[in-house]
Amino acid sequence: MSASTARRTDLRYRIGLNLHAVVGRSYPRIIGANREPSWIFFEALLPLLGIAAYVFVYQAFGSRALDAIMTSTASAPWGICGDHACLDAAEQALERAKALANTNALIASVVLGGTMVAFWLNVLWSMASQLYWEKEIGNLQLYMMAPMNRMALLGGMAVGGMVMTSMRAVSTLVAGILVFGVVFQVADPLLLLAVFFTALVALYGLGMMFASLYLLWGREAWNLSALMEEPIFFSSGFYFPIGGLYNMPGGWGRAVAIIGAFVPATFGLDALRQLTLGRTAFGGTIWIFDVQTELYILLLMAVVFLILARYSLAYLETLAKREGKLTSRHQ
Amino acid sequence: MPYAVETRDLTRVFAGKKKRRLRRKPTPNADENHLGPVTALDGVSLQIREGELFGLLGPNGAGKTTLIKILATLLLPTSGQALVAGHDVTKDPFPIRQRINMVSGGETSGYGLLTARENIWMFSQFYGVPSKVSKERIDELMHIFGLWDKRDAKVRMLSTGQRQKMNMIRGFVTDPDILFLDEPTLGLDVNAARVIREYVMNWVRGQSGKTVLLTSHYMAEADQMCDRIAIIDKGRILACDTPSNLKRMIRTETTFQLEVDTIPDTTSFMGLRGVKNFSHKNDISKNRSHLTFILEDEGPVAEILSSITSQGAKVHSLQKSETTLEDVFISMVGRGLD
Amino acid sequence: MNTFWRTFKVAAWLGWEMDSNWTEPWLFMVYSVVKPIAGAFILVLMYTVFAVIGNRQDPAAFSYMYVGNSFFIFVGSVLFGTFQVIQSDREWYQTIRYVYISPISYYVYIVGRAVSKVGVAAFAVAITLVFGVAFLGVEVHMTLDAVPLFVASMILGLAVLLAIGICLGGVSFLTAKHSHGLAEGIPGIFYVFCGVLFPLSILPPWGQAIGQAIPLTYWFDITRRLIAPTIGVDTTLAGYSHFTIMLLLVVSSVAFFGLSILIFKTGEYFARKAGKIDMTTSY
Repeated sequence: MSASTARRTDLRYRIGLNLHAVVGRSYPRIIGANREPSWIFFEALLPLLGIAAYVFVYQAFGSRALDAIMTSTASAPWGICGDHACLDAAEQALERAKALANTNALIASVVLGGTMVAFWLNVLWSMASQLYWEKEIGNLQLYMMAPMNRMALLGGMAVGGMVMTSMRAVSTLVAGILVFGVVFQVADPLLLLAVFFTALVALYGLGMMFASLYLLWGREAWNLSALMEEPIFFSSGFYFPIGGLYNMPGGWGRAVAIIGAFVPATFGLDALRQLTLGRTAFGGTIWIFDVQTELYILLLMAVVFLILARYSLAYLETLAKREGKLTSRHQ
Repeated sequence: MPYAVETRDLTRVFAGKKKRRLRRKPTPNADENHLGPVTALDGVSLQIREGELFGLLGPNGAGKTTLIKILATLLLPTSGQALVAGHDVTKDPFPIRQRINMVSGGETSGYGLLTARENIWMFSQFYGVPSKVSKERIDELMHIFGLWDKRDAKVRMLSTGQRQKMNMIRGFVTDPDILFLDEPTLGLDVNAARVIREYVMNWVRGQSGKTVLLTSHYMAEADQMCDRIAIIDKGRILACDTPSNLKRMIRTETTFQLEVDTIPDTTSFMGLRGVKNFSHKNDISKNRSHLTFILEDEGPVAEILSSITSQGAKVHSLQKSETTLEDVFISMVGRGLD
Repeated sequence: MNTFWRTFKVAAWLGWEMDSNWTEPWLFMVYSVVKPIAGAFILVLMYTVFAVIGNRQDPAAFSYMYVGNSFFIFVGSVLFGTFQVIQSDREWYQTIRYVYISPISYYVYIVGRAVSKVGVAAFAVAITLVFGVAFLGVEVHMTLDAVPLFVASMILGLAVLLAIGICLGGVSFLTAKHSHGLAEGIPGIFYVFCGVLFPLSILPPWGQAIGQAIPLTYWFDITRRLIAPTIGVDTTLAGYSHFTIMLLLVVSSVAFFGLSILIFKTGEYFARKAGKIDMTTSY
């Protein structure tokens, strides 16, 4: 080709190119949010109801537990303390305080988990599976033809969705504090932010790996995402402290928790709960690791998932091109 | 001289798959339940020179879009090689993507909530075009393509033709070296289509280093625009040459039809050099003769006219009918574009 | 009537194809089994962690929650199945204009499309209940004489759900692509206020008042009464007889049916006026 058509390939050019791509792809999300403000109701406020339901579930369990503790019967004049009758008023009072504290801590866990859910759903539905819709609309082939890195494209989607996601996360936190009376005690805000953002990066890296599936598949991948949604919720402990499963008899709880260890949200939430509820919450017995260790694990996950995402995107794109599925619609 | 696009024995086979059914409904023809492999391209070898406006004609399912997708790095070939701007589409797509763009007819890409201008700008960012440069190009192209008054209209409010114009602008805004146009004037009115054709031709010919590969169903468009045309059917290139050479392959003659005053003596025409055949019909009521000459070339026309006027007859009309590209196509493919 | 039936049949077939033909049949069966159980497991584990932390079991509360959550599968599936017809046909497949201008009742078309979701949901509910009884100790047993009432309450409950779904469909004529938000959010209202997972008495008084105004609250209550009569968790509706609850369901089915037609027609009218029937709003 003639000299006039020589194009740059240096690192600085590539970084600039991909930053442009991030800005370009985030733009429709940000503008769309402004032009169709109905998302505030549908995406940020309505989902609070799901969180509220889980809060009330714990309140219901807690209320019944308190009733059992405080109700005097012939066989248990001081009420039921766990799996036995309370011995005296002191034990009854202790059991009552413990039940109240555990219930409140569980409610706080739900609120924190609900905050993280906002980001996870953004990863799953607004980034990963968005490629499916791009394929249906006809945009995907235009994206794949462009020289930008695929991670820049996904990053742009994620960044663009951040406004909505953050709104949802903040509204969950505010509702938790104001409506359900959750109290967070943040001893180390910097460490909290570090854990939060590292977990987020790792989560988005995992999401980019998911996204690569959509290059090859269509509805199969979409249904796989739908299938994975709940298992990831419960194996990562979005709505309860996952460490509580480790001590379950039978071992299956531990198996579930181990599977969840591959999802960054597991360690992220465990660390965030320790930092906001205090390490002594739940008697201090159900945390997986200490916060520092979990931060290092998250850092490692972030690096590993981003690297894996890069390779899986490249590999599955090649596979999709080989099978002619990259641009086929209505798969 | 390096080629802008070169394919060497390029083949693409799509593997078939069994239809999925939850309820096994028996069908009279068992083959309907099994979709076998489809050879979309079969040993295609082409060279497109830099600066060329190259046309690809073929019926539906001939392999045109498959070829373009391979060249645009959206699809891998099963075998053979494809080079775009000197780079292999399989091994080295990044430098190709920096240099190409593609516009398809009937595209529905874009985001309904964004304006036309915003959509085009967004796509330009994926090529790293600086915002300022991108906006200047967009404004200029919008004026050229007659979309300026719709620049701030949401994409979902654009008509089909306006949307296609927007797609065309998206193709040019990144200033590619090689542009793939897959039926670009589909859905456009006559004026809009003409504007696009003229722009494309000027874009290729007015600058060095610009190449276009165009597929079209409009023969006249391909004939008018293209330097060379390849005819493809069932994944194979049947012919590849300039439009005039292609027409010459089919028919080397030229036909002239004249309407003249009634001529008493027509026998002399057959003896004229270059006249292969001649027929006439007299219209007594109008005192006219309709003469049809089949000539080897245009050479004898002057002599024919001289012979007519020497008999005192006046020539009222002269028409030349040429072989069209459609004739070439039908002759090679055996059917029209369906 | 023929047109309605034909429309319904074709739409139901289309809904089923779209739900099922994305993969091999065996994988679709696995998906249909795993998904509802996975959904129930969040609550199972929430209860489990509560029990482990507090060293205390509460099988009655667990059964109450599990049965309610199982039947809630109908709510999510049917509501999503109805209102997403418009969203998907409009935004993804872009076929809405062709279906809409054909000489059919679009209302009936939506109902037909949703019917496959009802079928899949019924299967999911059954699987979830069987799993709960077999492996989690959920207390479920229904006497034979309760079956006719159970069937009648199921029909009425599903009719209310379809009607509510079509109300949402009418609204979605005018809104942008927010399927996932709607899918989570609207059922969330019922999740909180209808006594699905916990008794109404847990809610503040205004919440209980809202719950008692929603017909689904009574549907969940009577379903629980018929399927798991021994749970014995106070539902605040103990004062209502079976007959009263069924009457409430009939009246509310009729009322919501009328409302669905009104909202659907209104949404359709304004969408046509604004040219939004086939708009695309993806971003």
